[in-house]
Amino acid sequence: MDFILHDKETIAEMLTSIGVNSLEELFQDIPADLLLKKLNLPHGLSEPDLLRRLEELSHKNKIYSSSFLGAGCYYHYIPSLVDFVISLSGFYTAYTPYQAEASQGYLQAIYEYQTAITRLTQMDVTNASMYDGSTALAEAAIMATVATQKKKLILLEGIHPEYVEVVKTYCWGQDIHFEIVMEDTLISKLDESVAAVLFQSPNFFGDIENVTELVQIIRDKAPKCLVVQVMTDPTCLGVLKPPGKFDIDIFVAEGQSFGISPSFGGPGLGIFASKQKYLRKMPGRLIGKTNEIDGEREGFILTLQTREQHIRREKATSNICTNQALCALASLIYLVSLGKTGLQEIALQNFQKSHYVKQKLATIPGYQILNKKPTYNEFLVKCPNVNELIEQCKQENLLPPLIISKYFPDMKDIVLVCVTESNSREDIEKFIHAAQKASNKNIGGN
Amino acid sequence: MTSNLTLIFNKGTKRSQHNFIPEMDIDKVDLLKIIPSSFQREDLPLPDIPEVKIVRHYTELSRKNYGIDSGIYPLGSCTMKYNPKINEVITRLPAFFQIHPLQEENQGALELIHQLSELLIEITGMDGFTFQPAAGAHGELTGILIMKKYFENKNLKKNKILIPDSAHGTNPSSAKMAGFSIIEVRSNDAGEIPLDHIEFAMQQGDVAGIMLTNPNTLGIFDRQIKDITNIIHKYGGLCYYDGANLNPMLGICRPGDMGFDIIHLNFHKTFSTPHGGGGPGSGPVGVIKELVPYLPGPHIIATEQEFVCREKTNNSIGRIKCFWGNFGVIVRAYAYILALGAEGLKRVGQMAVLNANYLRVLLKEKYHLPYDRICQHEFVLSDRGIPNEVTTEDIAKRILDYGLYAPTIYFPLIVKGALMIEPTETESKASLDNFVNVMNKIYNEAKTAPELLKNAPHNTPVKRLDAVLAARNPILHD
Repeated sequence: MDFILHDKETIAEMLTSIGVNSLEELFQDIPADLLLKKLNLPHGLSEPDLLRRLEELSHKNKIYSSSFLGAGCYYHYIPSLVDFVISLSGFYTAYTPYQAEASQGYLQAIYEYQTAITRLTQMDVTNASMYDGSTALAEAAIMATVATQKKKLILLEGIHPEYVEVVKTYCWGQDIHFEIVMEDTLISKLDESVAAVLFQSPNFFGDIENVTELVQIIRDKAPKCLVVQVMTDPTCLGVLKPPGKFDIDIFVAEGQSFGISPSFGGPGLGIFASKQKYLRKMPGRLIGKTNEIDGEREGFILTLQTREQHIRREKATSNICTNQALCALASLIYLVSLGKTGLQEIALQNFQKSHYVKQKLATIPGYQILNKKPTYNEFLVKCPNVNELIEQCKQENLLPPLIISKYFPDMKDIVLVCVTESNSREDIEKFIHAAQKASNKNIGGN
Repeated sequence: MTSNLTLIFNKGTKRSQHNFIPEMDIDKVDLLKIIPSSFQREDLPLPDIPEVKIVRHYTELSRKNYGIDSGIYPLGSCTMKYNPKINEVITRLPAFFQIHPLQEENQGALELIHQLSELLIEITGMDGFTFQPAAGAHGELTGILIMKKYFENKNLKKNKILIPDSAHGTNPSSAKMAGFSIIEVRSNDAGEIPLDHIEFAMQQGDVAGIMLTNPNTLGIFDRQIKDITNIIHKYGGLCYYDGANLNPMLGICRPGDMGFDIIHLNFHKTFSTPHGGGGPGSGPVGVIKELVPYLPGPHIIATEQEFVCREKTNNSIGRIKCFWGNFGVIVRAYAYILALGAEGLKRVGQMAVLNANYLRVLLKEKYHLPYDRICQHEFVLSDRGIPNEVTTEDIAKRILDYGLYAPTIYFPLIVKGALMIEPTETESKASLDNFVNVMNKIYNEAKTAPELLKNAPHNTPVKRLDAVLAARNPILHD
């Protein structure tokens, strides 16, 4: 298979126009000993053969009838029009809209994305996207250190462990120090040297923090310290009070829940929003509304580009260039498709269904819900026999919850259960049944 | 002023939509029993919009947007090639599209990543890859952090890095994010790196190495590339290859053989994955054997029975992104390489260079070509000699009037008023001839009717937009 258009005669004609005798002559600058003799790869495949090969390979992955696994990647129903819109050629085969006048469609769509996220979060400004939630958090951390001219960060326990690792990698790159602290020791760690406190809510274990209280503690003890919130499933904002109402300085989130398929964890979407006063410190692209120079009409354009690497090089606020534009578009289509009514209802169903499972599990001997705070669609459960629960789920064709010791080896016999609107009552009953069987087996002597 | 624009938010109706909400099939409890009212929002300012209106709105917007399916997209260093449609089907196969990154039954995904790694090792001449980086710049940061860790482990204080003045803007920016300060290397008159300059810099003892793209942003293959990498290695330094310009090298010449130690690739350039209006991309990083332990974990290892993950090693720089990288993009790149095979990939390299040189030779008849020699994937014209003070931007805007997209402009910085042109291998001769005709017409217009250019574009949905106003008074949402 290839996508070349020239026949032999055309190639010969073009070589003549160029003034060379062969294709080889076009590579005359490459020293002879560097020219590759042969690429040791298989022959190409036709489309049907390729499809068959990849289908076979994909079948080595398992698809389940329903999932109780979240932990940073979620199953929510995706309206069909999301994929339809992002598959339109004008969107998916375009590039960064450097030539605004020939890119008004995409620019308007991303402006609408910025608007949708700004309204949802009640933050002042939203950028055109980052790679994912974890890198958005790392960039927020760096931005906070630049805005405050301080090099110390506090991460509150409960941030997604892989996000913490990414923040750690980025911080090491710039000699930024950070400490992970428990909530009850936060006050004692706060002082004037702290650039920002980063926290996740709902956190990795499912807890919804009392953000009002948390922000108050930080403001009282360290007034100049920035407060950064991260979220891994922002569908909860259909019901929960948005970060802008809590005086959050920078809000970041993984936007995969908004109309993006799990796809083995990527591509996702890094949502990045902040207060107006930090606008010029923000990483990433921004789309702005403007007017024609000599006309009446309004239009959209990439703006505040002097923050960006292609203009400022090493003085840029970030090195990001390509972002996740098509994923931002997908999330916009998701948000406008669900609308106010849909998004509220989805969040309600997540609250209600996970609450239902929580209540049911708590009645089965040996299970204990560990969350003391309110939760959204994830919660921690101590199990009588974790491995048996996983096994029983698989037998019911359910994707089992996360065994939390994968990330926290000290937390034994605990799973992180995720229940969303995508789990039907039947799926839920199967899950409860699996838990029941795992409990019986244990009690039966195992 | 009445606005010519209608945003989606103005298309709401009072009739609420329930198309995408599954039936609530369990007994509800009072929400206040789950979450206190002080935690709940009071207002959600999003409209309810009928599905038909949404589809029409975005279909209309997509028509107001140029893509590679519209025609030639000659953005230099962006490699805007055709995106094969089969790859969209393959990435959406349910057992790729619907799998969770933390699920155990994932052998197909691990095998795919492992196989792709093997293919890229052959294509680039490196020894190991990570697929975590989400884009080229992200790959650069990963690669430069590997350099940092390498010297930290050796207890060597090397906090500077050489970057040529022709480099992509991401290079200095990524290096700075990894804590390096930048020594800019000035290209010589041939557009190449002066050896004495880098030798002198390396002698100072605090330079970690060099970041290079070859062919560079002038489209020139540096003939002394082996000497450059040898000098860097002589002083214990490392050589980083910016793979943004790898397309013309496919099947022709490998970065590993040039002497590079670390490279990143742009799947959305070289390996045909859609640019998507600016992403998602994928920027895998490849390294030589000695640096494999430094890659972000987890590493996928093939045993006799299965593919297993090994969590990060002691030397690893750590995670650079959550989970496995942009898997959906990785699948497309794998499909592309399998589809083309050895011959197909070499054909890509050859035709990309043929097309670029064909345009170069025809366009230099009217336009100034500051580096007049055989090019690889791209070449750079300047605004010198354009009549009536017509600028590069004017030319770019006028190209839009002819229904085509403009080249990259004002980059690289070492060419004044640069027009950087990369046609890629997926343009026909007729398409290239049409582009030349348009460029020649525009040159004549610059002579005879310069106002036509200075006020361009005229045929687009809006006329030239006020960038200064946009930056002075940023309106970033409604």
